[in-house]
Amino acid sequence: MKGTVLPQWELPITPTVVTSTAIATRDYQDVHHDRDLAQSHGSKDIFVNILSTTGLVQKYVGDWARDAVGPDFVVRSCALRLGAPAHPYDTLSFSGEVVDDSDGMLTIDVIGRVPLGDHVTAKVAITR
Amino acid sequence: MTDTHARILSETERIKALGETAPRLARDPVSQPIINAWLDAIDETDPRFTEGLAPPAMAQVWTMPGLRGTRGADDPLSQAMEMLDAAGFTSVLGTNCDQVYERYLKVGEQVSVTTRLVDVAGPKQTGVGEGYFVTTRNVWRVGDEEVASMQFRVLKFKPGQGGRAASEASDQSRPQGPDRSEIIRPVVNQDTAYFWEGTRQGELRLQTCNACGELRHPPGPVCPSCHAMDRGYVVASGRGTVFSFLVHHAPQMPGRELPLTIALVELEEGVRVVAAVRGNPEDLAIGDPVVVAWDKVDDELTLPVWELAR
Amino acid sequence: MSLSGRAAIVGIGATEFSKESGRSELQLSAEATLAALADAGLTPADVDGLTTFTMDNSSEIALARELGMGDLRFFSRINYGGGAACATVQQAAMAVATGVAEVVVCYRGFNERSGQRFGQVSSWAAAQVNTNGLDNAMTYPHGLSTPAATVAMQARRYMHEYGATSADFGAVAVADRRHAANNPDAFFYGKPITIEDHQSSRMIADPLRLLDCCQESDGAVALVVTSPSRAASLKQPAVSIAAAAQGSAPDQYVMTSYYRDDIGVPEMGVVGRELWRQSGLTQDDIAMAVLYDHFTPYVLMQLEELGFCGRGEAPGFIADGAIEIGGRLPLNTHGGQLGEAYIHGMNGIAEAARQVRGTSVNQVPDAEHVLVTAGTGVPTSGLILSK
Repeated sequence: MKGTVLPQWELPITPTVVTSTAIATRDYQDVHHDRDLAQSHGSKDIFVNILSTTGLVQKYVGDWARDAVGPDFVVRSCALRLGAPAHPYDTLSFSGEVVDDSDGMLTIDVIGRVPLGDHVTAKVAITR
Repeated sequence: MTDTHARILSETERIKALGETAPRLARDPVSQPIINAWLDAIDETDPRFTEGLAPPAMAQVWTMPGLRGTRGADDPLSQAMEMLDAAGFTSVLGTNCDQVYERYLKVGEQVSVTTRLVDVAGPKQTGVGEGYFVTTRNVWRVGDEEVASMQFRVLKFKPGQGGRAASEASDQSRPQGPDRSEIIRPVVNQDTAYFWEGTRQGELRLQTCNACGELRHPPGPVCPSCHAMDRGYVVASGRGTVFSFLVHHAPQMPGRELPLTIALVELEEGVRVVAAVRGNPEDLAIGDPVVVAWDKVDDELTLPVWELAR
Repeated sequence: MSLSGRAAIVGIGATEFSKESGRSELQLSAEATLAALADAGLTPADVDGLTTFTMDNSSEIALARELGMGDLRFFSRINYGGGAACATVQQAAMAVATGVAEVVVCYRGFNERSGQRFGQVSSWAAAQVNTNGLDNAMTYPHGLSTPAATVAMQARRYMHEYGATSADFGAVAVADRRHAANNPDAFFYGKPITIEDHQSSRMIADPLRLLDCCQESDGAVALVVTSPSRAASLKQPAVSIAAAAQGSAPDQYVMTSYYRDDIGVPEMGVVGRELWRQSGLTQDDIAMAVLYDHFTPYVLMQLEELGFCGRGEAPGFIADGAIEIGGRLPLNTHGGQLGEAYIHGMNGIAEAARQVRGTSVNQVPDAEHVLVTAGTGVPTSGLILSK
């Protein structure tokens, strides 16, 4: 499947997305739910936490893999390089490509972009 | 070395030597209500996560301290953060989060976590200011069984030094792809400096013995043939053939995109030099002709690279 | 004057081999040392010499303190990673043969999986401000920065020159894992592999696959060396050190000897010639061998350097189960470092000694003389052990 390109996914980031994912990941750092405090730390607004980015990347890969690979695929590893923050009113656009397919292991490179640049570049390994 | 840096180094060694923390139990067992909150928020629809399995990306969620919990005084990440706060590196930015899952967790399992400090590296000049990279490693277990692990890296930096606000930090401070400031630097001394001065100028310099004329690479202070220590260099043509090569797939490598092809090339002049091969040519073979090109990492370091010449 | 027969291994000890010992490296070495001394019927008070690897993180004095040892008359460390293994025994044998010491413990203990993993990119090795760091400056910055990658460069050339294939390398892994499957102390106990498993394992540093690379392990091994006369009164039958050699060849580097005409492992040829000279034995006298197997291609190259077959002939030599139990020259009957554990070659010396004692889980009949080697690709060492 090497070279297979995953369909794009565009996720509009809203305050609800940022706060609901932060709380669902039990991350109560103020920069993920309190705009005033986030701004006092020098950010322009609240932003998505890392745990949620991990979840979003795996949802993106999973939504594709369920059909393309099969419902029993297993995520083995997920390596994130974090970049620009994802703030409310940004659109987070995911794209992905299968960069390796050998020995039953698929490696998928994922990029999640926001207007400021790459929010995340990820390498996700799954097995069939 | 400044006093501050020396203190950070010694404190780092102390925290590293503490090794792994004692296992800290998750507050609650893996449970469907908490999974459901995640499924809602992430909009995750994999049916397995309503049938007794937990999303692997939730591994860390189970052991998050929550609103009123703390990580405990022995937590190496907290200790490293405090040390860097005290040294004036007060801002923080997550840079890498690498998770490995041995298996998916099941509803009802009680997870514990251990943490250790892997390294504190720096100081490094980054787009957001001077800082140290702090790397920690977490391992999650059910009983004695390792179920997931995570290598986590943050940049602790002095805010306002990089000419950009912290909120934008992340953007251009890390261009797409690997962080090339992490490429391993060569150790250089007076015997080898000419070689690296040459690469900066786009010259592949080969040491020559001024007494007997013998060429050699890698460099050294004495001619192994005639024992003269009067040495100079010639600039290689840059043309040669592949003597051997490999393609590195694993493990991950600082500053490099994988796979990475690396070749040992026999130059026309008769000496061999190792360098990466640009573009990972898929049909590369021993004997292929190559020519040197240059990869400027930064103002101080330029590396030779091979380009296929056929 | 010869070293042959002037000292013997009389005790073998080890911890369990694991992926996470949960204890300090010093504790591991202490446990292995106590076990080896108990095996010999000796106590820490009997020890007057210690040898280990330069790379070991536990000093001789720290180990001596932990075990309440008395005066030490001899302590020595050997450089070059796993190449030190057999040389720790050589040092002990030379000390015993010359009367410098009477009872020497050779030890190596590490948390090489749960602590610093050798298989990862070893940035520290490139940052050393010494000649090793200067050597590595010509490879690491280009991305040639893991042991597997450095071996892959030699392996590809070997394949090119002699027509060896990945499956030839795989035969070594299959043999090791077959032996490990029968060894309850091995990490891969009960888990043999087939050549198909090897061929379908993922690429690590092409041409090396995952199953060409040894494990990373936590654990410790210790060996007790003393004189034949002292050995006669001890618990175990003495395993005589018939030969003990070190070797480094012209234009030698650590893992990157790429600038010689032939980029194989001639340093092992140096060791081999010295082993045959000291012992007066020939290849035909050797019942089995433990050849250092951090990476499979090196096992083939070692067979050639040691003269078990001609240059480029190892792929034919190992075919058809020749290196498995029942074959012409069984290798690594404990499972090797691919199958048992990676204890920097010290567990291989323990297995060689067990073969001479007749107590291996995969015992070779009439193992009167066995040969064991240390780390390859680096300045190295070897032993011939005899009944």
